Amino acid sequence: MPPPASDYTVAVVDDDENVLKSLDILLQSADYSVRLFASATALLQSGCLPQIDCLISDIGLPTVDGFELLRLVDRAQPGLPIILITGRSDMLDRVPAGGAADFRVFSKPFDGGALLAAVGLALRSSRPGPCRG
Amino acid sequence: MVKADAVFPEEQHFILSTLSPSAAQKRLALGVVCAITIVFGLITVGPFKHVHVERVDAFVPSYVTAMFVCDSITALLLYAQFAIVRARANLVIASAYLFAALVMIPFILVFPGVFRPDEGLMGGMQSTSWVYFFQHAGFPLFILGYGLIKDAPPARRLRQAAASAEIGVSIALTGAIVSAGGLLFIKAHSWLPRVTVDAMHFGALWWYPATVVALLNVIGIVVLWSRRRVALDLWLIVVMFLYAIEIPLSYYPDPERFSIGWYAVRGFGVLASSVVLMLLIHEMATLYARLLGAVGAQRREREARLITGDAVAASIAHEVRQPLTAMITSADAGLRFLDRPAPDLDKAKEAFRLIATDGHRAGDVVASIRASLKTDPAKRTALNVDELIEQALALERSDLQKNRIQVKVEPRGELPEVRGDRIQVQQVLLNLITNAIHAMSGKEEPKVLSVTSEAYEGAGVLVSVADTGTGIESQHRDRIFNPLFTTKSDGMGMGLAICRAIIEAQHGRLWFAPNTPRGAVFQFTLRGDAIVAAPDPRLSVSRASSTLPVFPACRPS
Repeated sequence: MPPPASDYTVAVVDDDENVLKSLDILLQSADYSVRLFASATALLQSGCLPQIDCLISDIGLPTVDGFELLRLVDRAQPGLPIILITGRSDMLDRVPAGGAADFRVFSKPFDGGALLAAVGLALRSSRPGPCRG
Repeated sequence: MVKADAVFPEEQHFILSTLSPSAAQKRLALGVVCAITIVFGLITVGPFKHVHVERVDAFVPSYVTAMFVCDSITALLLYAQFAIVRARANLVIASAYLFAALVMIPFILVFPGVFRPDEGLMGGMQSTSWVYFFQHAGFPLFILGYGLIKDAPPARRLRQAAASAEIGVSIALTGAIVSAGGLLFIKAHSWLPRVTVDAMHFGALWWYPATVVALLNVIGIVVLWSRRRVALDLWLIVVMFLYAIEIPLSYYPDPERFSIGWYAVRGFGVLASSVVLMLLIHEMATLYARLLGAVGAQRREREARLITGDAVAASIAHEVRQPLTAMITSADAGLRFLDRPAPDLDKAKEAFRLIATDGHRAGDVVASIRASLKTDPAKRTALNVDELIEQALALERSDLQKNRIQVKVEPRGELPEVRGDRIQVQQVLLNLITNAIHAMSGKEEPKVLSVTSEAYEGAGVLVSVADTGTGIESQHRDRIFNPLFTTKSDGMGMGLAICRAIIEAQHGRLWFAPNTPRGAVFQFTLRGDAIVAAPDPRLSVSRASSTLPVFPACRPS
């Protein structure tokens, strides 16, 4: 029997407060525990990276952008599933190809169901079950 | 009145040789004069005085060829310059160089030892020196003529046809002078004073005509020096200096041909003949670099203005996308809370509240874009519409020419003064002209872009941009101003929507009508301030009642 969704923690990084709130409520509707961060630096400094099971991050972030965050997280927490979202179609061309990190990219606006499906798939394929730090 | 091509105002002339010489040029000229003087000193009184050099018969033809080519090219360039500047002084200089080139023909014909051993092909023993005097007296006379008329008050500039005729007359006259002089010194050689004693040596009589020639050159230098103004004057002084110094150098240290002094004189001759040529080539190279720079700058300016439309569109897209994303995501969340076996109504309500907030935010974004298109009153200035049209066409000139599009500008009478944001109105014009060029780019000729301006309803101005391109298909006509509607594969479809927003923000209107027999006409109006004061100018003119063609959607049913 799979563990309940609320055992999984999904972190969201986006500098747009409203997008952050909407993702919060979407992830809550699927019963995930949610952590919200307005910037990549806030996430990295919070020290809760080890407790996160999946990361959703915007690409166009100030100072440390989504790609940079991807690299940093991949070093600190190898294997952490990451989903990138972007409002700029030109960012899709800059997605690093064939990196070590496991990630998907959604362009805004995206379908909520599709995003949740991607989160669920990422959680199932990354680890056998939630592990608490 | 149709003023075809009149939109491209006559170019400013930047003939560098008619500008004041730079300090560097002055230093260079002084350096050249000093170097010549040093060489002169070295040969006449210095260590090279006794150097013996061999007679090289092939030297004369090569020298004559070099002189002929240099002087001809210089003459050609100067005639071309005259055709632009159309001042007679330039014509005289061009004639001087043509004279110098043509006089080389009798010179080589009479020079002993070139075609026949020890005698010329034509003429006699005296002919060579006299042709030399003829050349060295004729050239400074032309230069004197230039010096005397160059500062004459510029009477009316010659018309182009008159200038061409004058070039023809000048070439014919110069040819006649050279022919007459050449014939005289060839046919009447036995009558000429004996300035040479044999094919190699100059006699004592040589000095009398030589002194006259040297004096003429000195007078030329004095006249040019007293009236020196432009770079050309400066370098002509150097040329005259070379001509003058040739005379004593021909006689000292040895009064004979193929002496070191004689060879040096030939070298000075080639230098004299190439000084002005180098100046002109330098001028052309500089102008060419400037031209490339100017073309590049113009293209960048045009692109900068055109890009603004796309940049606005892209920023709108980005600004709207964020609240849109939030709304869709919250809506999905809300649906999921309601879809549960036991619907979580509180959470669903929260989701809907978020959606409402984001909806308002999207509305604010749109409102702020509209506000940003509204012109700051400080930027509203009196517009010279015809000048704006001219500038816009000038910016599009290379594209118009590339697509071989004929431009017609038809200002129809005096325009009332209208006010608006210059840059924004120009952006609209550029967008409409660019659209017209695109519409005609693949079409058969004749391709005609006509831009007209006329008074409209008293205080306004109506501008029409008409093309003979593909036109707008009837099913698209009511959609072309919609944002995101485009027929171009690379466009966002924001161009016309933004154009309309800009014109409406200027209290004007923008609409479309089919052109006859083919193509499209885009028309917009701009208004004077009197009407702007009305509460809402857009409501004061009913589109439906307008006599002008409007989109089907707005037509009275």
